Amino acid sequence: MVIYDSSIPQTPVISALKGVWEKRSLLKLLVARDLTVRYKRSVIGIWWSLLNPLFTTAVMFYVFNTVFKAKLPDGQSFLPYLLSGVLTMTLFNQGLTMAADSIATGAGVLTKVYVRPEIFAFSATISSAINFLFGLIPLTVVLLIFGKHPGIKTPLLLVFMLCMTLFTTGLGLMLAIAYVNFDDSRSLINIFLLALQYMTPVFYPITALGPHTQRVIHLNPLTSYLQIFRDVYGGNAVATVHEWLMMGGTSIFFFVLGFYVFGRTWPKVVAKL
Amino acid sequence: MSNEKIIEATDITLAYRRTRHRVSSLKQTAIDTINRRMSYEDFYALNGVSFEVSRGETLSVIGRNGAGKSTLLKVLARVLPPTSGRIIVRGSVAPMIELGAGFNPELTGAENIMLYGTLLGRDAKTMQSRIEAIADWAQLTEHLDIPIRAYSSGMVARLAFATATDVTPDLLLIDEVLSVGDEDFQTRSKARTEAMMNSGCAVVLVTHDLTAVKSMATRAIYLDHGAMRASGKPDDVIDAYHADLA
Repeated sequence: MVIYDSSIPQTPVISALKGVWEKRSLLKLLVARDLTVRYKRSVIGIWWSLLNPLFTTAVMFYVFNTVFKAKLPDGQSFLPYLLSGVLTMTLFNQGLTMAADSIATGAGVLTKVYVRPEIFAFSATISSAINFLFGLIPLTVVLLIFGKHPGIKTPLLLVFMLCMTLFTTGLGLMLAIAYVNFDDSRSLINIFLLALQYMTPVFYPITALGPHTQRVIHLNPLTSYLQIFRDVYGGNAVATVHEWLMMGGTSIFFFVLGFYVFGRTWPKVVAKL
Repeated sequence: MSNEKIIEATDITLAYRRTRHRVSSLKQTAIDTINRRMSYEDFYALNGVSFEVSRGETLSVIGRNGAGKSTLLKVLARVLPPTSGRIIVRGSVAPMIELGAGFNPELTGAENIMLYGTLLGRDAKTMQSRIEAIADWAQLTEHLDIPIRAYSSGMVARLAFATATDVTPDLLLIDEVLSVGDEDFQTRSKARTEAMMNSGCAVVLVTHDLTAVKSMATRAIYLDHGAMRASGKPDDVIDAYHADLA
């Protein structure tokens, strides 16, 4: 029999992670729910979800390849470079906002039923990761057209996806608190995400920038994530050790921070709802 | 076993700091902080509440709006830990929440039964085997394979109620007695709720319907501004509540 005793102290982060693990069958169902809603009911579902990144890529490709004449270092091709950038940004933006959204919209249930809200955030970031896998289909096609192939580093893609999932889950948990507390946080985060997109080398080569700007761009963790993705899938960049450390470090740091902050703040939010 | 205490609440208090003006936008928060107009107050949603509920008992919680009744349900559902005091809940807890709150309109009836049941803490395998029985009670067997956005509100309510009440928990939390659906559903849901109450689980019933309190509750407590004003026999507690209202 389950006995709930409020006087038993809870270890921050650890007990939340345990709670998520105990309810992993619910997590599975939530991911299945997200994917079902997105794909199963429509034959064009998968293509529909790819439409946005593909269309964005087409527009950017036209603008930067024709108007600005972007120049990449030798041996790198612009279209796969750009598409990897757009896919990475989509993975990040989607994971982050869907994680926060799933908790904010689920608040009605989460304030009445004992379920770790962190499970909702996880289900959102995991389904974004699966969505991202579908995006690899057009990327592979583009790579092959440009005479490139995914290469032997492809298994490292899993490390990239794991880090991104942890990173967006942690950040999404903190954003969820903002979503529930402040009505206007949704529009503000969009401005912030737009600025972040320009601070990430999605459509320009880092080498095109001055040394000071380059340093700023490297402070943005997403630059490391993106460069690693380009390196391990298609060889359109060379990721440095520093970038691997940045990706690993920020994913664990923000994951733990997100769980900690959320665990401390959520009860106060629930009390007010 | 029948005297087994399901809930032991000792001096539970739930206090938090809130802004006096209930600011709900970042813009307003920023303006108020700059102008030094942010003022906080300590708010006691619950203040030293103690009670016990044994198996087979139905405790009714009454009080005005904002007295702390919903907060108490959140504490009992273990969604909200008390800031001080101690609460012990033995066994499984099932909240009867707004019907359909955990539903997704795009999923089929069967998929929603699975999701909702698992959300309520039940085992996924058990849920799988219960889908038919649940649909049968809800009289929705023929509609199980269509997305519930095509359901009428009465159908959604039936499905949600049937899923929520499929198993008898050790503690049942009821926030307002159900008043949805047609007459047939009302009669059947009332009968099912009463059967659950009589089957030996503990019940905490929050309601404004004092007639329901008199007929269903074995004991009652009266909350006012988070504090317990009266506790005991339903009739006496209702009298105390009425005396305060007058």
